[in-house]
Amino acid sequence: MVLRLVEEAGPPIVVLVVLIAFWEWACHAFGIKTYVLPAPSSILGAFIKGSNTLLYHAGITAFEAMAGFVIGSALGALIGTAFAYSRFLARGFLPYIIAANTIPVVAIAPIIIIWFGHGIGSKIAVTAFLSFFPLALNMMKGLQSYDRVVMDVFHIAAATPTQAFFKMRLPSALPYVFVGLKLNVTFSVIGAIVAEFVQADRGLGFVIMTSYRSMAMPRLWAAMLLSALMGIVFFLIVAALERVFVPWHASMDPGR
Amino acid sequence: MAEPALRDTAMPAVDVRNLSLVYRSRDRAVNALSNVDLQVERGSFVSLIGPSGCGKSTLLRVLGDLLAPTSGTVLLDGRAPRAERLDRRIGFVFQDPALPEWRTILANVALPLELRGTPRADREAQARELIDLVGLTGFEGAYPRQLSGGMRQRAAIARALSTKPRLLLLDEPFGALDQITRDRLNLELMHIHEVTRVTVVLVTHSIREAVLLSDRIVVMTPRPGRISRILEDRLPRPRRLQTRDLPDYEDLVRLGNSALERGYAHV
Ligand SMILES: Nc1ncnc2c1ncn2[C@@H]1O[C@H](COP(=O)(O)OP(=O)(O)O)[C@@H](O)[C@H]1O
Ligand SMILES: [Mg+2]
Repeated sequence: MVLRLVEEAGPPIVVLVVLIAFWEWACHAFGIKTYVLPAPSSILGAFIKGSNTLLYHAGITAFEAMAGFVIGSALGALIGTAFAYSRFLARGFLPYIIAANTIPVVAIAPIIIIWFGHGIGSKIAVTAFLSFFPLALNMMKGLQSYDRVVMDVFHIAAATPTQAFFKMRLPSALPYVFVGLKLNVTFSVIGAIVAEFVQADRGLGFVIMTSYRSMAMPRLWAAMLLSALMGIVFFLIVAALERVFVPWHASMDPGR
Repeated sequence: MAEPALRDTAMPAVDVRNLSLVYRSRDRAVNALSNVDLQVERGSFVSLIGPSGCGKSTLLRVLGDLLAPTSGTVLLDGRAPRAERLDRRIGFVFQDPALPEWRTILANVALPLELRGTPRADREAQARELIDLVGLTGFEGAYPRQLSGGMRQRAAIARALSTKPRLLLLDEPFGALDQITRDRLNLELMHIHEVTRVTVVLVTHSIREAVLLSDRIVVMTPRPGRISRILEDRLPRPRRLQTRDLPDYEDLVRLGNSALERGYAHV
Protein backbone atom coordinates (compact mmCIF):
# COMPACT_ATOMS: atom_id res chain seq x y z
CA MET A 1 0.00 0.00 0.00
CA VAL A 2 2.68 2.49 1.09
CA LEU A 3 4.93 1.18 -1.65
CA ARG A 4 2.20 1.72 -4.26
CA LEU A 5 1.68 5.25 -2.98
CA VAL A 6 5.38 6.01 -3.32
CA GLU A 7 5.37 4.41 -6.76
CA GLU A 8 2.42 6.49 -7.92
CA ALA A 9 3.19 9.79 -6.24
CA GLY A 10 6.97 9.63 -6.70
CA PRO A 11 7.39 10.59 -10.36
CA PRO A 12 5.00 13.60 -10.34
CA ILE A 13 6.67 14.98 -7.20
CA VAL A 14 10.14 14.67 -8.71
CA VAL A 15 8.97 16.39 -11.89
CA LEU A 16 7.34 19.18 -9.84
CA VAL A 17 10.46 19.86 -7.80
CA VAL A 18 12.71 19.90 -10.87
CA LEU A 19 10.28 22.16 -12.73
CA ILE A 20 10.05 24.67 -9.88
CA ALA A 21 13.83 24.73 -9.48
CA PHE A 22 14.31 25.35 -13.20
CA TRP A 23 11.65 28.05 -13.19
CA GLU A 24 13.26 29.84 -10.24
CA TRP A 25 16.69 29.58 -11.85
CA ALA A 26 15.45 30.76 -15.28
CA CYS A 27 13.71 33.83 -13.86
CA HIS A 28 16.95 34.98 -12.28
CA ALA A 29 19.35 33.78 -14.98
CA PHE A 30 17.46 35.48 -17.84
CA GLY A 31 16.22 38.44 -15.78
CA ILE A 32 12.58 37.76 -16.66
CA LYS A 33 10.36 40.67 -15.58
CA THR A 34 8.05 39.87 -12.67
CA TYR A 35 4.89 40.93 -14.54
CA VAL A 36 5.78 38.53 -17.37
CA LEU A 37 6.61 35.55 -15.19
CA PRO A 38 7.09 35.90 -11.45
CA ALA A 39 9.61 33.53 -9.89
CA PRO A 40 8.19 30.81 -7.60
CA SER A 41 9.79 32.56 -4.65
CA SER A 42 7.95 35.82 -5.34
CA ILE A 43 4.66 33.95 -5.82
CA LEU A 44 5.26 32.24 -2.48
CA GLY A 45 6.08 35.64 -1.00
CA ALA A 46 2.82 37.08 -2.28
CA PHE A 47 0.96 34.09 -0.93
CA ILE A 48 2.52 34.36 2.54
CA LYS A 49 2.00 38.11 2.68
CA GLY A 50 -1.65 37.88 1.70
CA SER A 51 -2.37 34.41 2.97
CA ASN A 52 -5.24 35.43 5.24
CA THR A 53 -7.20 37.23 2.56
CA LEU A 54 -6.21 34.74 -0.15
CA LEU A 55 -7.46 31.83 1.92
CA TYR A 56 -10.65 33.72 2.73
CA HIS A 57 -11.31 34.27 -0.97
CA ALA A 58 -10.37 30.67 -1.75
CA GLY A 59 -12.89 29.56 0.88
CA ILE A 60 -15.63 31.60 -0.83
CA THR A 61 -14.81 30.09 -4.23
CA ALA A 62 -14.57 26.58 -2.78
CA PHE A 63 -17.99 26.98 -1.20
CA GLU A 64 -19.54 28.26 -4.44
CA ALA A 65 -17.92 25.46 -6.44
CA MET A 66 -19.00 22.75 -4.01
CA ALA A 67 -22.55 24.03 -3.61
CA GLY A 68 -22.91 24.42 -7.38
CA PHE A 69 -21.41 20.98 -7.92
CA VAL A 70 -23.83 19.35 -5.50
CA ILE A 71 -26.91 21.16 -6.80
CA GLY A 72 -25.96 20.74 -10.48
CA SER A 73 -25.05 17.08 -10.04
CA ALA A 74 -28.26 16.35 -8.13
CA LEU A 75 -30.35 18.00 -10.85
CA GLY A 76 -28.32 16.23 -13.52
CA ALA A 77 -28.84 12.87 -11.85
CA LEU A 78 -32.61 13.42 -11.58
CA ILE A 79 -33.02 14.62 -15.16
CA GLY A 80 -30.71 11.87 -16.46
CA THR A 81 -32.82 9.28 -14.64
CA ALA A 82 -36.02 10.70 -16.12
CA PHE A 83 -34.44 10.53 -19.60
CA ALA A 84 -33.31 6.95 -19.06
CA TYR A 85 -36.87 5.92 -18.22
CA SER A 86 -38.74 8.03 -20.78
CA ARG A 87 -37.84 7.94 -24.43
CA PHE A 88 -40.27 10.78 -25.00
CA LEU A 89 -38.57 13.08 -22.50
CA ALA A 90 -35.12 12.14 -23.74
CA ARG A 91 -35.98 12.71 -27.39
CA GLY A 92 -37.94 15.86 -26.65
CA PHE A 93 -35.43 17.61 -24.43
CA LEU A 94 -32.00 16.29 -25.39
CA PRO A 95 -31.53 18.38 -28.56
CA TYR A 96 -32.18 21.57 -26.60
CA ILE A 97 -30.06 20.51 -23.67
CA ILE A 98 -27.15 19.75 -25.97
CA ALA A 99 -27.67 23.11 -27.69
CA ALA A 100 -27.73 24.89 -24.32
CA ASN A 101 -24.56 23.04 -23.38
CA THR A 102 -22.72 24.65 -26.29
CA ILE A 103 -23.42 28.18 -24.96
CA PRO A 104 -20.13 29.53 -23.57
CA VAL A 105 -20.42 29.96 -19.83
CA VAL A 106 -19.11 33.56 -20.07
CA ALA A 107 -22.13 34.40 -22.23
CA ILE A 108 -24.69 32.89 -19.90
CA ALA A 109 -23.09 34.04 -16.63
CA PRO A 110 -24.27 37.71 -16.86
CA ILE A 111 -27.84 36.55 -17.46
CA ILE A 112 -27.74 34.20 -14.48
CA ILE A 113 -26.29 36.98 -12.33
CA ILE A 114 -29.17 39.26 -13.31
CA TRP A 115 -31.60 36.51 -12.32
CA PHE A 116 -29.94 35.40 -9.09
CA GLY A 117 -28.50 38.69 -7.81
CA HIS A 118 -25.02 39.88 -6.92
CA GLY A 119 -24.38 37.57 -3.99
CA ILE A 120 -22.94 34.10 -3.74
CA GLY A 121 -26.21 32.58 -4.99
CA SER A 122 -25.64 33.61 -8.58
CA LYS A 123 -22.10 32.12 -8.57
CA ILE A 124 -23.56 28.86 -7.29
CA ALA A 125 -26.19 29.01 -10.03
CA VAL A 126 -23.57 29.46 -12.78
CA THR A 127 -21.57 26.56 -11.36
CA ALA A 128 -24.68 24.40 -11.13
CA PHE A 129 -25.56 25.26 -14.73
CA LEU A 130 -22.12 24.13 -15.85
CA SER A 131 -22.01 20.94 -13.78
CA PHE A 132 -25.46 19.77 -14.78
CA PHE A 133 -24.96 18.42 -18.29
CA PRO A 134 -22.16 15.93 -17.78
CA LEU A 135 -24.02 14.05 -15.09
CA ALA A 136 -27.39 14.21 -16.87
CA LEU A 137 -25.89 12.63 -19.98
CA ASN A 138 -23.77 10.08 -18.14
CA MET A 139 -26.59 9.16 -15.79
CA MET A 140 -28.84 8.47 -18.76
CA LYS A 141 -26.20 6.45 -20.57
CA GLY A 142 -25.26 4.60 -17.38
CA LEU A 143 -28.83 3.64 -16.51
CA GLN A 144 -29.28 2.28 -20.02
CA SER A 145 -26.04 0.33 -19.99
CA TYR A 146 -27.19 -2.55 -17.80
CA ASP A 147 -26.69 -6.15 -18.87
CA ARG A 148 -29.87 -7.39 -20.59
CA VAL A 149 -29.37 -10.94 -19.30
CA VAL A 150 -29.06 -9.66 -15.72
CA MET A 151 -32.35 -7.86 -16.32
CA ASP A 152 -33.86 -11.21 -17.38
CA VAL A 153 -32.56 -12.69 -14.13
CA PHE A 154 -34.30 -9.93 -12.18
CA HIS A 155 -37.44 -10.50 -14.20
CA ILE A 156 -37.47 -14.23 -13.53
CA ALA A 157 -37.03 -13.43 -9.83
CA ALA A 158 -40.10 -11.15 -10.03
CA ALA A 159 -38.19 -8.01 -9.05
CA THR A 160 -40.19 -4.79 -8.79
CA PRO A 161 -39.08 -1.83 -10.95
CA THR A 162 -37.80 -0.14 -7.78
CA GLN A 163 -35.70 -3.20 -6.91
CA ALA A 164 -34.41 -3.35 -10.48
CA PHE A 165 -33.41 0.31 -10.22
CA PHE A 166 -31.59 0.18 -6.90
CA LYS A 167 -30.11 -3.31 -7.12
CA MET A 168 -29.20 -3.36 -10.78
CA ARG A 169 -29.53 -0.28 -12.96
CA LEU A 170 -28.06 2.18 -10.48
CA PRO A 171 -25.03 0.02 -9.57
CA SER A 172 -24.45 -0.62 -13.30
CA ALA A 173 -24.60 3.13 -13.89
CA LEU A 174 -22.06 4.05 -11.19
CA PRO A 175 -18.95 3.92 -13.41
CA TYR A 176 -20.69 6.37 -15.76
CA VAL A 177 -21.91 8.48 -12.87
CA PHE A 178 -18.32 8.93 -11.74
CA VAL A 179 -17.20 9.92 -15.23
CA GLY A 180 -19.84 12.66 -15.01
CA LEU A 181 -18.93 13.65 -11.46
CA LYS A 182 -15.23 13.95 -12.34
CA LEU A 183 -16.07 16.27 -15.23
CA ASN A 184 -18.45 18.25 -13.01
CA VAL A 185 -16.00 18.73 -10.21
CA THR A 186 -13.45 20.21 -12.61
CA PHE A 187 -16.07 22.41 -14.27
CA SER A 188 -17.36 23.57 -10.90
CA VAL A 189 -14.18 25.49 -10.02
CA ILE A 190 -14.08 26.97 -13.53
CA GLY A 191 -17.75 27.94 -13.25
CA ALA A 192 -17.32 29.69 -9.92
CA ILE A 193 -14.28 31.66 -11.08
CA VAL A 194 -15.83 32.68 -14.40
CA ALA A 195 -18.94 33.88 -12.55
CA GLU A 196 -16.71 35.91 -10.21
CA PHE A 197 -14.96 37.44 -13.23
CA VAL A 198 -18.27 38.75 -14.49
CA GLN A 199 -19.31 40.29 -11.20
CA ALA A 200 -18.11 39.73 -7.63
CA ASP A 201 -16.62 41.43 -4.61
CA ARG A 202 -14.99 38.30 -3.22
CA GLY A 203 -13.60 34.93 -4.32
CA LEU A 204 -10.49 33.89 -6.22
CA GLY A 205 -11.93 35.17 -9.51
CA PHE A 206 -12.33 38.56 -7.88
CA VAL A 207 -8.72 38.43 -6.61
CA ILE A 208 -7.45 37.51 -10.08
CA MET A 209 -9.38 40.41 -11.66
CA THR A 210 -8.25 43.01 -9.12
CA SER A 211 -4.65 41.76 -9.17
CA TYR A 212 -4.68 42.02 -12.96
CA ARG A 213 -5.97 45.60 -12.86
CA SER A 214 -3.22 46.62 -10.42
CA MET A 215 -0.61 44.45 -12.14
CA ALA A 216 0.03 42.56 -8.89
CA MET A 217 1.19 39.55 -10.89
CA PRO A 218 2.68 37.39 -8.09
CA ARG A 219 -0.64 37.70 -6.24
CA LEU A 220 -2.52 36.80 -9.43
CA TRP A 221 -0.30 33.75 -9.86
CA ALA A 222 -0.84 32.76 -6.23
CA ALA A 223 -4.63 32.98 -6.70
CA MET A 224 -4.42 31.07 -9.97
CA LEU A 225 -2.36 28.28 -8.42
CA LEU A 226 -4.74 28.12 -5.46
CA SER A 227 -7.68 27.61 -7.82
CA ALA A 228 -5.76 24.88 -9.64
CA LEU A 229 -4.96 23.21 -6.33
CA MET A 230 -8.62 23.42 -5.38
CA GLY A 231 -9.64 21.69 -8.60
CA ILE A 232 -7.10 18.93 -8.02
CA VAL A 233 -8.20 18.35 -4.42
CA PHE A 234 -11.87 18.19 -5.42
CA PHE A 235 -11.02 15.77 -8.21
CA LEU A 236 -9.06 13.53 -5.84
CA ILE A 237 -11.97 13.51 -3.38
CA VAL A 238 -14.32 12.31 -6.13
CA ALA A 239 -11.75 9.76 -7.32
CA ALA A 240 -11.47 8.46 -3.74
CA LEU A 241 -15.26 8.18 -3.50
CA GLU A 242 -15.20 6.21 -6.75
CA ARG A 243 -12.82 3.70 -5.20
CA VAL A 244 -15.20 3.31 -2.28
CA PHE A 245 -18.41 3.03 -4.29
CA VAL A 246 -17.25 1.26 -7.46
CA PRO A 247 -14.49 -1.05 -6.27
CA TRP A 248 -15.50 -3.69 -8.82
CA HIS A 249 -15.05 -1.48 -11.83
CA ALA A 250 -12.49 -2.85 -14.25
CA SER A 251 -10.54 0.38 -14.62
CA MET A 252 -9.80 0.17 -10.88
CA ASP A 253 -8.38 -3.32 -11.09
CA PRO A 254 -4.92 -3.24 -9.52
CA GLY A 255 -4.04 -6.40 -11.44
CA ARG A 256 -4.69 -4.74 -14.77
CA MET B 1 -38.63 -41.66 -15.90
CA ALA B 2 -40.51 -40.18 -12.97
CA GLU B 3 -42.08 -42.42 -10.35
CA PRO B 4 -45.19 -44.12 -11.81
CA ALA B 5 -47.35 -42.81 -8.97
CA LEU B 6 -46.42 -39.24 -9.81
CA ARG B 7 -46.80 -39.74 -13.53
CA ASP B 8 -50.31 -41.12 -13.26
CA THR B 9 -51.77 -38.59 -10.87
CA ALA B 10 -50.02 -35.31 -11.61
CA MET B 11 -50.88 -32.87 -14.33
CA PRO B 12 -47.95 -32.06 -16.59
CA ALA B 13 -45.32 -29.65 -15.30
CA VAL B 14 -45.34 -28.05 -18.72
CA ASP B 15 -48.34 -28.11 -21.04
CA VAL B 16 -47.91 -26.25 -24.30
CA ARG B 17 -50.74 -26.32 -26.81
CA ASN B 18 -50.74 -24.97 -30.33
CA LEU B 19 -48.19 -22.34 -29.44
CA SER B 20 -47.11 -19.87 -32.11
CA LEU B 21 -44.89 -16.85 -31.78
CA VAL B 22 -44.22 -14.21 -34.39
CA TYR B 23 -41.55 -11.56 -33.89
CA ARG B 24 -42.75 -8.41 -35.63
CA SER B 25 -40.45 -5.58 -36.47
CA ARG B 26 -41.15 -2.60 -38.72
CA ASP B 27 -40.26 -4.30 -41.99
CA ARG B 28 -40.62 -8.01 -41.39
CA ALA B 29 -42.18 -10.76 -39.32
CA VAL B 30 -40.31 -13.89 -38.16
CA ASN B 31 -42.30 -17.03 -37.45
CA ALA B 32 -40.14 -18.16 -34.56
CA LEU B 33 -42.54 -20.87 -33.35
CA SER B 34 -45.41 -22.48 -35.17
CA ASN B 35 -48.03 -24.81 -33.68
CA VAL B 36 -45.85 -26.24 -30.97
CA ASP B 37 -47.33 -28.87 -28.67
CA LEU B 38 -45.31 -30.15 -25.77
CA GLN B 39 -46.05 -31.88 -22.50
CA VAL B 40 -43.39 -32.36 -19.85
CA GLU B 41 -44.01 -34.68 -16.95
CA ARG B 42 -43.36 -33.39 -13.47
CA GLY B 43 -39.89 -34.25 -12.30
CA SER B 44 -38.67 -35.30 -15.72
CA PHE B 45 -35.73 -34.01 -17.70
CA VAL B 46 -36.40 -32.82 -21.24
CA SER B 47 -33.90 -31.49 -23.76
CA LEU B 48 -34.64 -29.22 -26.70
CA ILE B 49 -32.28 -29.63 -29.60
CA GLY B 50 -32.14 -28.25 -33.11
CA PRO B 51 -30.18 -26.00 -35.42
CA SER B 52 -29.73 -22.44 -34.27
CA GLY B 53 -32.63 -20.20 -35.14
CA CYS B 54 -35.25 -22.95 -34.73
CA GLY B 55 -36.84 -21.19 -31.76
CA LYS B 56 -35.39 -23.05 -28.76
CA SER B 57 -34.60 -19.89 -26.82
CA THR B 58 -37.93 -18.41 -27.83
CA LEU B 59 -39.79 -21.43 -26.49
CA LEU B 60 -37.83 -21.33 -23.24
CA ARG B 61 -38.47 -17.61 -22.82
CA VAL B 62 -42.20 -18.20 -23.30
CA LEU B 63 -42.09 -20.89 -20.60
CA GLY B 64 -40.31 -18.44 -18.28
CA ASP B 65 -42.80 -15.63 -19.01
CA LEU B 66 -40.08 -13.49 -20.53
CA LEU B 67 -42.07 -13.47 -23.78
CA ALA B 68 -45.82 -13.64 -24.46
CA PRO B 69 -46.98 -16.09 -27.13
CA THR B 70 -48.74 -14.77 -30.23
CA SER B 71 -51.28 -17.57 -29.94
CA GLY B 72 -51.81 -20.84 -28.11
CA THR B 73 -51.75 -21.69 -24.44
CA VAL B 74 -49.03 -22.48 -21.97
CA LEU B 75 -49.67 -23.94 -18.54
CA LEU B 76 -47.09 -24.77 -15.88
CA ASP B 77 -48.53 -27.14 -13.29
CA GLY B 78 -51.91 -25.98 -14.50
CA ARG B 79 -51.18 -22.28 -14.01
CA ALA B 80 -50.20 -19.39 -16.25
CA PRO B 81 -46.44 -18.87 -16.55
CA ARG B 82 -46.91 -15.35 -15.16
CA ALA B 83 -48.40 -16.70 -11.93
CA GLU B 84 -45.60 -19.23 -11.62
CA ARG B 85 -42.98 -16.56 -12.26
CA LEU B 86 -44.46 -14.14 -9.76
CA ASP B 87 -44.46 -16.95 -7.18
CA ARG B 88 -40.79 -17.48 -8.09
CA ARG B 89 -41.37 -21.08 -9.06
CA ILE B 90 -39.30 -20.83 -12.22
CA GLY B 91 -35.51 -20.97 -12.31
CA PHE B 92 -33.71 -19.81 -15.45
CA VAL B 93 -30.07 -20.27 -16.37
CA PHE B 94 -28.74 -18.46 -19.43
CA GLN B 95 -25.62 -19.14 -21.49
CA ASP B 96 -24.16 -16.03 -19.87
CA PRO B 97 -23.95 -16.56 -16.10
CA ALA B 98 -25.11 -12.92 -15.67
CA LEU B 99 -23.77 -12.49 -12.14
CA PRO B 100 -23.74 -8.78 -11.19
CA GLU B 101 -20.04 -8.10 -10.70
CA TRP B 102 -20.53 -6.03 -7.54
CA ARG B 103 -22.07 -8.93 -5.65
CA THR B 104 -20.16 -11.73 -4.01
CA ILE B 105 -21.05 -15.29 -4.99
CA LEU B 106 -23.08 -15.58 -1.79
CA ALA B 107 -24.98 -12.36 -2.52
CA ASN B 108 -25.51 -13.43 -6.11
CA VAL B 109 -26.92 -16.82 -5.16
CA ALA B 110 -29.11 -15.18 -2.49
CA LEU B 111 -30.35 -12.47 -4.87
CA PRO B 112 -33.77 -13.98 -5.74
CA LEU B 113 -34.42 -14.56 -2.02
CA GLU B 114 -33.36 -11.01 -1.29
CA LEU B 115 -35.81 -9.74 -3.90
CA ARG B 116 -38.50 -11.85 -2.27
CA GLY B 117 -37.77 -10.23 1.08
CA THR B 118 -36.31 -13.25 2.88
CA PRO B 119 -34.39 -12.05 5.99
CA ARG B 120 -30.64 -11.94 5.53
CA ALA B 121 -29.72 -14.76 7.90
CA ASP B 122 -32.27 -17.10 6.31
CA ARG B 123 -31.37 -16.35 2.73
CA GLU B 124 -27.66 -16.64 3.39
CA ALA B 125 -28.10 -19.99 5.10
CA GLN B 126 -30.11 -21.24 2.12
CA ALA B 127 -27.62 -19.82 -0.34
CA ARG B 128 -24.77 -21.58 1.48
CA GLU B 129 -26.55 -24.91 1.11
CA LEU B 130 -26.95 -24.36 -2.62
CA ILE B 131 -23.36 -23.22 -2.98
CA ASP B 132 -22.44 -26.50 -1.35
CA LEU B 133 -24.75 -28.43 -3.69
CA VAL B 134 -23.04 -27.00 -6.79
CA GLY B 135 -19.56 -27.50 -5.32
CA LEU B 136 -18.56 -23.90 -4.73
CA THR B 137 -17.96 -24.12 -0.99
CA GLY B 138 -15.14 -21.78 -0.04
CA PHE B 139 -15.99 -19.23 -2.73
CA GLU B 140 -18.91 -17.56 -0.93
CA GLY B 141 -17.00 -14.31 -0.52
CA ALA B 142 -15.40 -14.28 -3.97
CA TYR B 143 -16.46 -11.91 -6.72
CA PRO B 144 -17.62 -13.35 -10.06
CA ARG B 145 -14.58 -12.15 -11.97
CA GLN B 146 -12.34 -14.12 -9.62
CA LEU B 147 -14.01 -17.35 -10.77
CA SER B 148 -13.61 -19.46 -13.91
CA GLY B 149 -16.40 -19.68 -16.47
CA GLY B 150 -17.50 -23.09 -15.18
CA MET B 151 -17.61 -21.89 -11.58
CA ARG B 152 -19.66 -18.85 -12.56
CA GLN B 153 -22.14 -21.09 -14.30
CA ARG B 154 -22.37 -23.22 -11.15
CA ALA B 155 -23.21 -20.07 -9.21
CA ALA B 156 -25.87 -19.18 -11.78
CA ILE B 157 -27.39 -22.66 -11.36
CA ALA B 158 -27.37 -22.28 -7.58
CA ARG B 159 -29.08 -18.89 -7.92
CA ALA B 160 -31.74 -20.38 -10.22
CA LEU B 161 -32.44 -23.02 -7.57
CA SER B 162 -32.57 -20.59 -4.65
CA THR B 163 -36.33 -20.07 -4.61
CA LYS B 164 -36.92 -23.84 -4.84
CA PRO B 165 -38.45 -23.65 -8.33
CA ARG B 166 -40.71 -26.37 -9.72
CA LEU B 167 -39.36 -25.77 -13.19
CA LEU B 168 -35.72 -25.23 -14.12
CA LEU B 169 -35.08 -23.77 -17.58
CA LEU B 170 -31.55 -23.88 -18.97
CA ASP B 171 -30.66 -22.19 -22.26
CA GLU B 172 -27.38 -23.65 -23.51
CA PRO B 173 -25.88 -23.18 -20.06
CA PHE B 174 -22.65 -24.97 -20.93
CA GLY B 175 -22.31 -23.68 -24.48
CA ALA B 176 -19.35 -21.47 -23.69
CA LEU B 177 -17.42 -24.05 -21.67
CA ASP B 178 -14.71 -26.52 -22.63
CA GLN B 179 -15.52 -30.23 -22.92
CA ILE B 180 -14.01 -31.30 -19.60
CA THR B 181 -15.84 -28.60 -17.65
CA ARG B 182 -18.97 -29.46 -19.57
CA ASP B 183 -18.78 -33.13 -18.58
CA ARG B 184 -18.33 -32.19 -14.94
CA LEU B 185 -21.25 -29.79 -15.00
CA ASN B 186 -23.39 -32.42 -16.71
CA LEU B 187 -22.64 -34.71 -13.79
CA GLU B 188 -23.57 -31.94 -11.36
CA LEU B 189 -26.78 -31.31 -13.23
CA MET B 190 -27.71 -35.00 -13.05
CA HIS B 191 -26.99 -34.90 -9.34
CA ILE B 192 -29.08 -31.76 -8.82
CA HIS B 193 -31.94 -33.29 -10.78
CA GLU B 194 -31.80 -36.44 -8.66
CA VAL B 195 -31.65 -34.53 -5.38
CA THR B 196 -34.25 -31.84 -6.05
CA ARG B 197 -36.52 -33.70 -8.50
CA VAL B 198 -37.10 -30.36 -10.20
CA THR B 199 -38.55 -30.54 -13.71
CA VAL B 200 -35.80 -29.56 -16.15
CA VAL B 201 -36.03 -28.21 -19.69
CA LEU B 202 -32.55 -27.93 -21.18
CA VAL B 203 -31.66 -26.33 -24.49
CA THR B 204 -28.49 -27.80 -25.91
CA HIS B 205 -26.57 -28.06 -29.16
CA SER B 206 -25.10 -31.38 -28.19
CA ILE B 207 -27.07 -34.55 -28.95
CA ARG B 208 -24.64 -36.48 -26.73
CA GLU B 209 -25.37 -34.21 -23.81
CA ALA B 210 -29.11 -34.52 -24.46
CA VAL B 211 -29.01 -38.33 -24.62
CA LEU B 212 -26.91 -38.54 -21.46
CA LEU B 213 -29.21 -36.35 -19.38
CA SER B 214 -32.75 -36.59 -20.65
CA ASP B 215 -35.91 -38.61 -20.32
CA ARG B 216 -37.11 -37.13 -23.58
CA ILE B 217 -35.36 -35.31 -26.39
CA VAL B 218 -37.37 -32.82 -28.40
CA VAL B 219 -35.93 -32.25 -31.86
CA MET B 220 -36.90 -28.96 -33.49
CA THR B 221 -36.66 -27.64 -37.04
CA PRO B 222 -36.44 -24.02 -38.17
CA ARG B 223 -38.48 -21.67 -40.36
CA PRO B 224 -40.98 -21.81 -38.92
CA GLY B 225 -39.76 -23.30 -35.66
CA ARG B 226 -41.61 -26.47 -34.86
CA ILE B 227 -41.15 -29.83 -33.18
CA SER B 228 -40.15 -32.50 -35.68
CA ARG B 229 -39.60 -35.49 -33.43
CA ILE B 230 -39.62 -36.53 -29.79
CA LEU B 231 -37.25 -39.31 -28.70
CA GLU B 232 -37.83 -41.34 -25.55
CA ASP B 233 -34.58 -41.90 -23.67
CA ARG B 234 -34.96 -44.87 -21.30
CA LEU B 235 -31.32 -45.34 -20.39
CA PRO B 236 -31.08 -46.60 -16.79
CA ARG B 237 -30.98 -44.08 -13.98
CA PRO B 238 -29.06 -42.85 -12.14
CA ARG B 239 -27.00 -41.76 -15.12
CA ARG B 240 -23.23 -41.63 -14.87
CA LEU B 241 -20.61 -40.58 -17.38
CA GLN B 242 -20.16 -44.34 -17.95
CA THR B 243 -23.73 -44.43 -19.25
CA ARG B 244 -22.12 -43.27 -22.46
CA ASP B 245 -20.46 -46.67 -22.82
CA LEU B 246 -23.82 -48.47 -23.15
CA PRO B 247 -24.78 -49.66 -26.65
CA ASP B 248 -28.22 -48.09 -26.19
CA TYR B 249 -26.54 -44.73 -25.68
CA GLU B 250 -24.91 -44.85 -29.11
CA ASP B 251 -28.18 -46.01 -30.67
CA LEU B 252 -29.97 -42.99 -29.26
CA VAL B 253 -27.23 -40.64 -30.40
CA ARG B 254 -27.56 -42.09 -33.91
CA LEU B 255 -31.34 -41.71 -33.79
CA GLY B 256 -30.99 -38.15 -32.58
CA ASN B 257 -28.49 -37.27 -35.26
CA SER B 258 -30.64 -38.62 -38.05
CA ALA B 259 -33.65 -36.74 -36.66
CA LEU B 260 -31.51 -33.61 -36.61
CA GLU B 261 -30.33 -34.19 -40.16
CA ARG B 262 -33.87 -34.53 -41.39
CA GLY B 263 -34.44 -31.24 -39.62
CA TYR B 264 -31.57 -29.63 -41.48
CA ALA B 265 -33.06 -30.89 -44.75
CA HIS B 266 -35.87 -28.38 -44.16
CA VAL B 267 -33.48 -25.46 -43.89
N1 LIG C 1 -36.10 -10.31 -30.52
C1 LIG C 1 -36.20 -10.86 -31.73
N2 LIG C 1 -36.71 -10.14 -32.76
C2 LIG C 1 -36.83 -10.66 -34.00
N3 LIG C 1 -36.48 -11.92 -34.32
C3 LIG C 1 -35.99 -12.70 -33.35
C4 LIG C 1 -35.81 -12.21 -32.00
N4 LIG C 1 -35.28 -13.20 -31.26
C5 LIG C 1 -35.13 -14.26 -32.08
N5 LIG C 1 -35.56 -13.96 -33.34
C6 LIG C 1 -35.59 -14.87 -34.48
O1 LIG C 1 -36.43 -15.95 -34.14
C7 LIG C 1 -35.89 -17.16 -34.58
C8 LIG C 1 -35.69 -18.10 -33.40
O2 LIG C 1 -34.71 -17.56 -32.54
P1 LIG C 1 -34.22 -18.30 -31.21
O3 LIG C 1 -35.41 -18.67 -30.41
O4 LIG C 1 -33.22 -17.44 -30.57
O5 LIG C 1 -33.55 -19.60 -31.82
P2 LIG C 1 -32.53 -20.62 -31.16
O6 LIG C 1 -32.46 -20.35 -29.70
O7 LIG C 1 -33.08 -21.96 -31.49
O8 LIG C 1 -31.21 -20.42 -31.84
C9 LIG C 1 -34.59 -16.83 -35.30
O9 LIG C 1 -34.86 -16.78 -36.68
C10 LIG C 1 -34.24 -15.48 -34.77
O10 LIG C 1 -33.54 -14.74 -35.74
MG1 LIG D 1 -30.80 -19.75 -28.51
